[in-house]
Amino acid sequence: MSVSQCPVTESILFIDDVIGKGGLTHPRSRRIAEEIHSLLDDVAWGRAGDDHLPAVLALIQDLLQDANEPEGYQLGEHLHQTMQLHGEVFESHVTTHNCPTETCEWLTPAPCQMACPAGIDVPTYVTLIGQGRDAEAIDVIRQDNPFPWVCGLVCTRPCEFMCVRGRMDTPVSIKFLKAFAAERAMSEGTYRNPEKGPDQGKRVCVIGAGPGGLSAAYYLALKGYGVHVLEALPTAGGMIMVGIPRYRLPREVIDREVAMLEELGVTFAFNTRFGEDVTLDELKSQGYSAFFFAIGAHKAYNLGIPGEADFPQTVEAIDLLRRVALGERRMPGKRVVVIGGGNVAIDAARTCLRLGCPEVTIAYRRTRHEMPADEEEVEQAEEEGVHFSFLTIPAKIVGKDKKINGLRCIRAELVKREGSSRMSPVPVLGSEYIMDADVVISAIGQKVDQLCMGDLETMDWTRRGTIDVNMVTMETSIAGIFAAGDAVTGPATVIEAIGGGKRAAEAIDRYLLGIPQPQMPPVPVRRRREACIELPASTKTVIKRPTMDMLNLDRRRTTFQQVELGYTENMVREEARRCLRCDICRRCGKCVEICRDKMGISALEMGYLDFDHPGPTDLRVTEERCIACGACAANCPNDAMKIEDRGDERLLMLCGTILNRQKLVFCNSCGKAMGPMKYLDYIRKRTKSVTQVPDGALICDNCARTKTARFNVGTLPA
Amino acid sequence: MSQYYLFQDTKKCIGCHACEVQCKANKNLPIGPRLCQIIQVGPKMIGGLPRAAYIFMPCFHCENPWCVAACPTGAMQQRSSDGIVFVDHNLCVGCKTCISACPWGAPQWNPETGKVVKCDYCKDRVDQGLNPACVTTCTTHCLKFGKVEDMTQIRRDRHAQTVASLEHCAF
Repeated sequence: MSVSQCPVTESILFIDDVIGKGGLTHPRSRRIAEEIHSLLDDVAWGRAGDDHLPAVLALIQDLLQDANEPEGYQLGEHLHQTMQLHGEVFESHVTTHNCPTETCEWLTPAPCQMACPAGIDVPTYVTLIGQGRDAEAIDVIRQDNPFPWVCGLVCTRPCEFMCVRGRMDTPVSIKFLKAFAAERAMSEGTYRNPEKGPDQGKRVCVIGAGPGGLSAAYYLALKGYGVHVLEALPTAGGMIMVGIPRYRLPREVIDREVAMLEELGVTFAFNTRFGEDVTLDELKSQGYSAFFFAIGAHKAYNLGIPGEADFPQTVEAIDLLRRVALGERRMPGKRVVVIGGGNVAIDAARTCLRLGCPEVTIAYRRTRHEMPADEEEVEQAEEEGVHFSFLTIPAKIVGKDKKINGLRCIRAELVKREGSSRMSPVPVLGSEYIMDADVVISAIGQKVDQLCMGDLETMDWTRRGTIDVNMVTMETSIAGIFAAGDAVTGPATVIEAIGGGKRAAEAIDRYLLGIPQPQMPPVPVRRRREACIELPASTKTVIKRPTMDMLNLDRRRTTFQQVELGYTENMVREEARRCLRCDICRRCGKCVEICRDKMGISALEMGYLDFDHPGPTDLRVTEERCIACGACAANCPNDAMKIEDRGDERLLMLCGTILNRQKLVFCNSCGKAMGPMKYLDYIRKRTKSVTQVPDGALICDNCARTKTARFNVGTLPA
Repeated sequence: MSQYYLFQDTKKCIGCHACEVQCKANKNLPIGPRLCQIIQVGPKMIGGLPRAAYIFMPCFHCENPWCVAACPTGAMQQRSSDGIVFVDHNLCVGCKTCISACPWGAPQWNPETGKVVKCDYCKDRVDQGLNPACVTTCTTHCLKFGKVEDMTQIRRDRHAQTVASLEHCAF
């Protein structure tokens, strides 16, 4: 079996092949094979229930029982092997309605959902938001991510980078739609927790109240476990509280979403550092059956340049952000240089501006193009007046009497280096100069603080200084201890931590119930198949992604108020309607192919369907040439393209987008719809060579038959 | 016209629809398409008695088929060897132009496959020297299938009979 192919479809095709070749002559084997075929068909088309796979296995056993019938036995053996090898894939088809290989057409997932580290069912919730069903949307999101509001404001949005709409114009603003729905649901009191499972009678201890730890706590609490969270800081949230500044993520957002966890019975112990205030043995004696470590990566890397340790004005960005988040508002100094090019560097620089520093410069070794920081944030920082000094390598911190007065830098040039995809900065000889500075802030990355884990001597660590885990189950080298978040991945994103926490919760549940752990990473679950929102092609094309309103610059430089002011309700509903519903349209391009190559009409201009070579797209031009024959709809495997007679019109729709609507012509005799005039003209033109049709005699196929029969009676020999 | 002729002796037909059932069973068709169809005409009062006629309507396999002309994909074809008009399912895209073009409503829509199906005189059976499915099952033996030249004899015999016994008439 080729790697890209799905074992479910593979098995179906195998049975087809055996039967087609006449390989099953014994009626009993043939009947069993056909039954297996129909059950597997249900699996591949998302109709299977819990009983399907056990039934298939039982039928395979039936085939294997009769060794006197070699054809059936061989088929049974082949299927048995496939099921043994890929049992998890079969099960995941049933439970997730998702075939990540995109082989099973009905179960092909949307790219946005596959891009999300937490696997949120994006098309479903976007559609719900488009219909104003915010609370339902939040319910859908929280099945995979307990923090839609937080993520709606700060997510790095891998989904939007994969958004198919981006190939047409700009991606759907998936990230912010979430925040709007969460805020609306919270304000209306419809942001609710799902039903909690029955009490399992076991307790789990989560160390670290960041996004990873809290996600695991949420899903474990829902499964009915007692969860206690230890946190070294005086507040919950971890990096989203002390790493992300308040002007990007207001504290209330975190507090309200964390409060939802407390409602589920999750308890917290703040100011409690693992390894200092409590040890593993103490916790074990308190009766916890499993442990989950999501301690994050809070320790800054050293710059490793002379002078670094000599001055109190050398600050670690992560330390500064933490202190400011916890309430400190002291200006670090007048002239600030931040070293680094990531989001933390930008956050530190913008925070310094807000603390009153008149001159803030970010020094980065490479150019703007290579900066790992989010582009929008770099732009926002520039708007606020942060200076950038690119191709700058810090060499030495210089000063006198315990006071910094400058940073010695070397200019760099970028060189392509073998084995590295990024250009490497190389110092230019003799280009040293001094950048004036009172404060130097280092933001060149963080690592996991291994000190607090001192008493876990058997814990394995990776070469990068992160906790070594099985990435499928998040199990560490110690039984009963799981880990996720930055502590495992190194400094990463909120959504990755959430995904890891969710995976860990699933694995902890299995561990405590004694169920074997999965071998294959979990597949995102398609939660629903929501009906598409109908709107005309012109509207679908014309709606533009709204621009985000920003707080005025003066206030951005002086306060920690939220910078992005959000969309209005109208903007949100419109924006959600731009979604192309890639969970339904799998972009196979059959419709375009048939219209162009088979029908010779070329009405569909949908270049966005081709991932590798996207061409121009205009949904509006369809109606110019389309004759509404319905060949595209008849060949669409997923019912994404639909043709429908409604009243006196025929409508052609792609995922709710009305591509064409034409007035129908009806049968003169029975009144049945015969298609629009354009369609009938097309046929008339083609049959002109055969015969002339008298105009006006428009009768449908059924009436034509009856009419001929009557005529025949009349001409029967008397 | 094809080389074949499917003759229905309307005097014998009692409208049992067995031909339709057999046709659909043979082609494994879902609800909807009827490749051949018995159409009841009447009843009408003839000489004080109600009389009905049952007309068998398969495809006529025209000499110059409209459906073949209408088909944009070349799926609808006329077999050069014997003139049978049939659909190649691999080429059919389901645009339904043939259905609209046929003046007799012969091509039918199969909603399960999203393609057109039509009477092909069961060409696979004919090629094996068998009769079309509908003919094999006709309870009154009113359906006859054969070469056009053989069929004229039946008509002639029948006509001779009607002429001989004047109390019988077709309607």
